[in-house]
Formats: sequence, C-alpha cells, structure tokens
Amino acid sequence: MSMIDVKELKAYYTTEKYGRIYRVRAVDGVSFQVHKNEIYGIAGESGCGKSTLLKAISGLIKPPLEILEGEVIYNFDDQSLNILSLQEDKQRRKVRGIRLSHIPQGSMSVLNPVRRIRKSFQDLIDAHLKLENRTHLNDMNMVKKHLDALGLEWNVMHSFPHQLSGGMRQRITIALATILKPDIIFADEPTTALDVVVQRGVVQLIKKIKKEQQNTLIMVTHDLAIHANLCDRLAIMYAGKIVEEADVNLLFNQPKHPYTQMLLDSLPKLGDKSTRTSAPGTPPSLINVPPGCRFHPRCPEATERCRREIPELVEVEKGHRVACFLEEGSK
Amino acid sequence: MVFKKYFIPRFIQYLTVLFIGITLVFIIPRLLPSDPVEHQLNRMTAQGQYLDPAAVEEMRETLQELYGLKGGLLEQYLIYWKRLFTGNLGPSFTQFPTPVIQLIKISLPWTAGLLLVSLLLSWLIGTVLGGIKVSFPNSIVAKIIEFFAMGIRPIPYYIMALVLLILFAFVFPVFPMTGGYSMGAEIGFNLKFILDLLRHAFLPIMSMVVLEIGGWFIQMRNVASNVIEEDYVVYAEALGLPKIKIIFRYIMRNAIIPQITGLALNLGFIFGGALITEIVFSYPGIGTLLYSAILAGDYNLIMGVNIFSIVGVSTAMLIIDLIYPLLDPRVRYQ
Repeated sequence: MSMIDVKELKAYYTTEKYGRIYRVRAVDGVSFQVHKNEIYGIAGESGCGKSTLLKAISGLIKPPLEILEGEVIYNFDDQSLNILSLQEDKQRRKVRGIRLSHIPQGSMSVLNPVRRIRKSFQDLIDAHLKLENRTHLNDMNMVKKHLDALGLEWNVMHSFPHQLSGGMRQRITIALATILKPDIIFADEPTTALDVVVQRGVVQLIKKIKKEQQNTLIMVTHDLAIHANLCDRLAIMYAGKIVEEADVNLLFNQPKHPYTQMLLDSLPKLGDKSTRTSAPGTPPSLINVPPGCRFHPRCPEATERCRREIPELVEVEKGHRVACFLEEGSK
Repeated sequence: MVFKKYFIPRFIQYLTVLFIGITLVFIIPRLLPSDPVEHQLNRMTAQGQYLDPAAVEEMRETLQELYGLKGGLLEQYLIYWKRLFTGNLGPSFTQFPTPVIQLIKISLPWTAGLLLVSLLLSWLIGTVLGGIKVSFPNSIVAKIIEFFAMGIRPIPYYIMALVLLILFAFVFPVFPMTGGYSMGAEIGFNLKFILDLLRHAFLPIMSMVVLEIGGWFIQMRNVASNVIEEDYVVYAEALGLPKIKIIFRYIMRNAIIPQITGLALNLGFIFGGALITEIVFSYPGIGTLLYSAILAGDYNLIMGVNIFSIVGVSTAMLIIDLIYPLLDPRVRYQ
C-alpha cells in the first residue's frame, strides 16, 4: 500500500484587490502516490507550485492559501489519516514533527535566534513525547546519540544559531527534523544556497538518515542533479500540475513530455560539447493560466488540440505517467 | 575579556555623554539675555527702597558669588564642577536661599512615583495586549482591544486628563480633585496614608496609562506581526510545537526586545516631570518646579533639574546596553 495518497489536490492562493478576487492556482489538480520507504522527488521551475504542494500535503495551510478540493491520505502502520479533514490545533499539530517532519528551505533563519540549539531540540521533544518516564538527561542522551549517528559534534548544542556556519546550521536542522524518527520527511530545497561541497554533505546525511530510520522522503528542489543522485521516483511539475512522473532512471533516459525533454537538454553532459539550450519563453502566470495544455505556448510540437483541451496524466507504460496528447496518440 | 571589550567602552561612552550634557547645561543659560543678578537687584530696588550705590555694588558681588557667576567663564566652569561633585547645585534664585538640591528632593519622589507606575503599567498592558492581538488576530477580543487602543490613542492628553478629572472628581466625586495627599494628613508609613496617597494618584496615573497603552500596543503589534512571519516561527509550526510555546517562546520573546529598549529609554525620562498632569491635577512634582523656574529665570534650578534628567536618561541607556546581551544573544561579544 502506498504511504501517501494525494488525490486531485487543488490549493489556491486567494487575494482580493479592488473588489476583484484573484486566484493563484499554485497546485491545480495534482494526484500521486508515494510508496513506503522511497524517495520521491518533485522538480520544476521556480513558481511552479512545488513548495505550495508540500505545504498543502503537510497540512500547513494558512490564509491566503486555501485547499479547494482533494484528499491527502497518510497510511501509517497503525492508522490512516486524511490530514485535510483534521482540526488544525488538536490533531494536525500532533502529527507534525513526529510523524511528518520538515527539512526546510533556507535553514539560515529557521532556528529561533534567541534560543540555544539544545533548547530547540528540547522544545520539539517536549511537544511530542509524553512526560512520563522521561527525564531531561534521557532526552539529552537521545539527542547526543542521534548527533553521534549523524557525525555531528555535541558542542554545537550550546551555541546560538548565529554562531554557526550555514552548512552547520543546515545539518543541525536536519538532525532536529529527524530526531523523533518521523515516518515521512518533507525536504523543501534542502541544498539551496549551499555550496556544492556542503550540498554533498547534506545529501549524504539525508541518505544516511533514510537508511537508518527507514522513512519515506519527499524531496522538492529545482536541482535535477540532486534528484538524480537521491531519488527513486521523480515527478516534473509545470505551472501547478504534474506533467510527467516515472522512475528516476527511466525519466532521465526516456523523457516523454516535451517540457521534460527540454529540461534535460539544458543540462551539461559529459563528453558532449554542443551548446546547451533552454526552453524558450517563460513560465506562465498562475493567475491567468493558458487554456488547454499549460505548456502549449512554449511547446514546439503544440497542435490545435493542445490549445483547447487539457491533457490528463496517464500511464503510458508501467510506472511512467505523462500528461501529453503526443504520447496518448502514440499509444 | 567580555568585560574589557563590552563594558569598558560603554562606560567611557556614558561618561562622555554625561560630561557633554552637563557642560551644555552650564553653557546654555549663560547665553540667555537676562541676567539673574540684575533681576534680583531690580526686584529689590523696585520695592522703592533707597539703596546706597556702594551697597548695591557690594550686593551685586555677593549675589554673583552665590549664583556662581563670578569671574571669567572658565573660572565659573571649574567652580561649577567642584560644586557638582560636592552635591551642591547652588541656591534657588526665586526661593532664595533654599538650595536647589532640596527643592528637587521634595519634588522628585512625587514625579518619579507617578511616572514610574504609569509607565510600567502602560508598558505591561500594552505589550501583553499587542501580543494577544498578533497571536489571535481574528478573535473578537483582539478586535475589541485594537478598536479601543487605536480609538483612544489620538485623544490629546490634556483633554483626556480634564475629562477624567471632571467625570471622576466632579460629576461622580469618587476621587479627590487636587493634591498629592489630603491636606492636614499625617505623613507616615501607615495604611491610612498609603491609601490616601493611592486615591490621589489614581486619576493622574490613569490619565497617562490609558493613553500610553495605545502606543505600546501599536509598537508591540507591529514588531510581533513581523516576527510571526519569520522562518523560525513558521518552522516551529511545521514541527508541531504547541501554540502556547510558539506564542511565548518564539513570537513574544523575540518581539519584546525592542519593547524593552523603549521601556528603558522612557525610564530615563521620568526625571523630566509631567507638566500637564501636574497642572491639571495640581499634583506636586518636577514639571511644575521646572516650569516656574523657567518663567522666573531661575538658572540654578533649571540646571539642577536638567542635570538630573541627563543623568537619568544616560544611565538608562547604559543599563539597556548592559542588559541587551542577555536579551538578544546576537549582540553578545560585539
């Protein structure tokens, strides 16, 4: 059974300006499943709705973000939860941090600047573990063990966040996010704003945790190299929709959607010295999305049908789903 | 090491500010066109008494010495400092020969008590209300708080004071109209006198608290509504920390830093007096003292009050500087 089951999720940002309501259709009818123990990657350009999708499936919904329709079901070992139907304060809060955890984007500022790091760990443990048969010393031993396992120094626990380097802060944040052995980890651009050496460290750290704790991981980044390195399956998002989803090797070797092909064509390859090209044009505004296939204004192979009808995400071969009429025709 | 790097430079800065401030207090009255010695002599001759010119000359010299106006500027300046260090601010001109320090000593406890209590009360209430408003922005309580805080704040202070006075001392005579304590009351540390004191102080304090709450509320609300968008608050939500903990340890704890700076700065101002309050409620205090000193050209008294003010404000600044690292670890060791 799948661990996460997302069905027809629509998450819009609603704003009102001069009496007119604007809807930013950041996530517009997305369905996918994530299996237990896998690393599921979501890739796409800036502003394609990746981060919003993460917020929506982890139940972090605050105005102006609204969920219009859809379901997000978690199948934990002992129970199934539909996170969108839970109450924010009583139930969702209890799930976040212990069953679902976040490795955030821009860990530069995610730790409370006036609290020592060990206090942040203590806060998280206090929030989720029952107070009985638990002492401060035990808690700190648990933290110490976890840090040892991740190869981090215990000394940093006594520091304030501003006293650490960016890479260190990111690693500490990862340690914080995983201390309670969550079933599912959402990683939202965990390597952005880090240099490649630190990026490598972070990727290895995530791999290590995943191996030890056997969690399910959803990885969101625009960096295809990270995806290739880390993920089992990969979904490509474009303008609020998933346009292609497949096993990571399959996707890199046989991309079917024109957008995916363009993305991969823009990457440098060993031994290939020809000039790389990028997709023409810019991504569409999510307030006024183009009718039909959202990619058609930039697609070299767009037909009349693409301008009118919206292609469904269909399985063209086992485990490979594509939303394009070209594929539908060839089947 | 920290002491050397952090404390000493700030202490030197403190002394420098004091020195410059006190020197300015010395210079500025001497730039005024009126001469207090002539003023005093004129008052004497205006009474129609015949004075021998030689006696006038002698009296002028005595007065100049008393007022610290004898000799050249430099000489006066050195004497001024010498007097300061012995706690002697000279005699008051208008209430001659009462020393200035004694006048201030009488007025200061009234002013300090009044302003300290109203400042602390308004700060505390305004800060807490601001925090509530930001933590529960859509609750009815928050909306009511905001409506009143924003609605009352623009009322000019003297109108507020007069309205309170008329309402609660005249229409409904719950509180006394004037004074710091009942006339003829026995001054002493006993329950009766303290209650009497509180009853007299209630309206003046209320008039200030009601208006100042708005200012503290708005500052707290603005800072906290920025803090609430910070990544560490969003992340604390994402980790499912309890709401109460997020409000106190994450939002309020960070938003209170500028509030405390504001409080400390305002603590320094309590030596300047609250003139309008003192006039409207006929309350004893530094404000009235300073006001009448300015009207009468009483240099020594003006200088005395100002020196207290300068010492008050700069000591408050020094204290903020020293406690700031405890509040915000990011300024530690800098």
